[in-house]
Amino acid sequence: MASSDNPAGGAPTTADLGPTLLAVGIDHRSAPLELRERVALSREECEGLLLRLMARPEVAEAYVLSTCNRTEVYVRAREQEAALRAALELTFTTRVPEVEHEGRFWVLHDAEAARHLLAVACGLESMVLGEPEILGQVKRSAELAERVGTFGTVIKRLLRSALQAGRRARAETEIGEGAVSLGYSVVELARQIFAGVEGRSCLVLGGGETATMAARSLAEKGVRDLRFAVRGTHRHQALQEEFPGSPITSFQDRYATISECDLLIASTSADEPVVEAGELRQVMRQRRARPLLVVDLGVPRNVAPQVRRLENVFLHDLDSLEHLIARNLERRRLHVPQVETIVGEELRQFDAWYQGLEAEPLIAELQRRAERIRRDEVDGARSRFPAEVQDELDRLTRALVRKILHHPSTRLRAGGAERDLAHLELARDLFQLGEDED
Amino acid sequence: MDQIARFAPHALLLAYAAATAAYGVLFSSGSKKASRIASPLLQVAIALHLAYLGWLTWRWAQFPAATVSQALTVVAFAIAIVYLFLEWLGGERATGVWLVGQVLVFQLLAVALHEAQPPKRELFEHPLFGIHVFLALLGYAAFAVAASYGFLFLRLYRELKGTRFSVFYGKLPPLEVLERMMSGALAMGFAALSGALVDGVVWAVQLSDVDWQHDPMILLTFATWALYGGALLLRRLRRWQGRQTAMASLAGLGVIVVSLVAVHTLVVGFHRSF
Repeated sequence: MASSDNPAGGAPTTADLGPTLLAVGIDHRSAPLELRERVALSREECEGLLLRLMARPEVAEAYVLSTCNRTEVYVRAREQEAALRAALELTFTTRVPEVEHEGRFWVLHDAEAARHLLAVACGLESMVLGEPEILGQVKRSAELAERVGTFGTVIKRLLRSALQAGRRARAETEIGEGAVSLGYSVVELARQIFAGVEGRSCLVLGGGETATMAARSLAEKGVRDLRFAVRGTHRHQALQEEFPGSPITSFQDRYATISECDLLIASTSADEPVVEAGELRQVMRQRRARPLLVVDLGVPRNVAPQVRRLENVFLHDLDSLEHLIARNLERRRLHVPQVETIVGEELRQFDAWYQGLEAEPLIAELQRRAERIRRDEVDGARSRFPAEVQDELDRLTRALVRKILHHPSTRLRAGGAERDLAHLELARDLFQLGEDED
Repeated sequence: MDQIARFAPHALLLAYAAATAAYGVLFSSGSKKASRIASPLLQVAIALHLAYLGWLTWRWAQFPAATVSQALTVVAFAIAIVYLFLEWLGGERATGVWLVGQVLVFQLLAVALHEAQPPKRELFEHPLFGIHVFLALLGYAAFAVAASYGFLFLRLYRELKGTRFSVFYGKLPPLEVLERMMSGALAMGFAALSGALVDGVVWAVQLSDVDWQHDPMILLTFATWALYGGALLLRRLRRWQGRQTAMASLAGLGVIVVSLVAVHTLVVGFHRSF
């Protein structure tokens, strides 16, 4: 696997690579949601696929990553064409034939495959740039492959590089910073006003999909005191199931509840504003002007625009949230070159390790040959030494051989990593390796 | 001795520059490494500064405010310790670049105006005078810091009130934290100024030959003390919230600067004789 001049490892040359690593998959770029969701694998299905792949003689190692946006299979092939056919057949053809018929899948080889997995772990390939969940998904899939026993040296090392790249991308850049979903942008706004959102109380007006989505984001970020005010009772059961312990109050009493809360999320289907400036002014007096974040997710708007003028009331609607999301995405995009540099660095390290593998058979042969010579010579001379020094003789000669071979072995590994074929050839010639000893 | 006098202000400048740089990186990139080293760098700079001020006091046997350069370095030190206290109070480092940057500017001026030989003045040898001057400078420094937080508070408040977000958004601490730091600075300034007034009065009554009760500078300091005390009281009574306090901090600093300049340029009084 060769490293690329491109820092991100983009467009690496594969001509000089051993045809061993292969990636086959579909993602949000190659296939529509309708196909992706049919291809997506549960944890049990991933396990089954890994076992079926490993049952094929042409597959030496396997790893499967399946999320709602991508299903990817990585294999180290003993025979490239056959391994590709096996991966396609087991992952797509037998399950969702349209993927293959419509050419919705992609195939990557060697350095490109490795680079792709690193970029995936960093969130560069995600539908929402830099989304944080993917790193955990890559890790959990790796744990599954390790448990099933489909990991070998190469894919294990590749996964280590991918996880390292993902961790570095998030620690060293802002690729994952800033909310890029409606729900989390509400949390982000709250964090700009309050010192921590965890202990805050929030009233949600409405119980529809958008309202519960925002409430879910707040609950995930630790807002424990969630209250709902809904018209009628038809949403009560669903809300109580999803948010057990969250009180559902009468819509008529909403202003009384607002006076006790720090956040107000309005998402009802009302045609007229359900929060008026006059009433809210009274509420703010009761609150002694403690800050209140009001998020209006309704269309048409649920909160009268005049509310914005009230002291210490921070009103945001869908427009301002979308602006915030666009701004955060733009900020994430600015960090893509930095993340690509990290991918390139980790890929180069993996590459160097991978190339070093080429020298391993040569080093092993060198060591075997040296050991054979040592043993022959010691056996020939053994009778000349007393019995009590025989063990010492073995120990001494082994240490000698080890010390003599230490430097050549190190240099051979380095030569392998640098793709210094002349270096390896010279070693073969000098030590007469790869020749028939008989 | 002369070597220390020459070298120390520059060393302090470097130490504050390093701390400002770390806080700057922290503000612009949110770097965790910068976050880890910024406060320790500032603490080291403050420790060195304290040692330097102690050495100056010992070396010249008087409070180190006899030259403009010495007064400026005391102001830099006062801002630094006020900020360090607020950082602890608010648990936030994101505003450090703005405050430690001010320390750096004052120290830079102190280096630029450095005088090797400060004038020997008997008044400066009195311990009560030293405490009085230091507390007064600490108080004014804290009010200046409060005004800085007031400015940042109003900036973020306006941004959150609007529907568009600038580069500042997401980089500053939450409004509540800015408010807590601003109130902390105000309280610290008020306490220091109260101490300066008590100390100044105790010391002034010992001087029988001065009409300190009618000194414009003292009257101005009492007026400042009363204004800030009123603001703190209104906050305490919850009549004022963050925005009003922020505006009062900025207005208060403006009043202090204008009246200090006016008193020093137009009026002759007890403090003018120093």
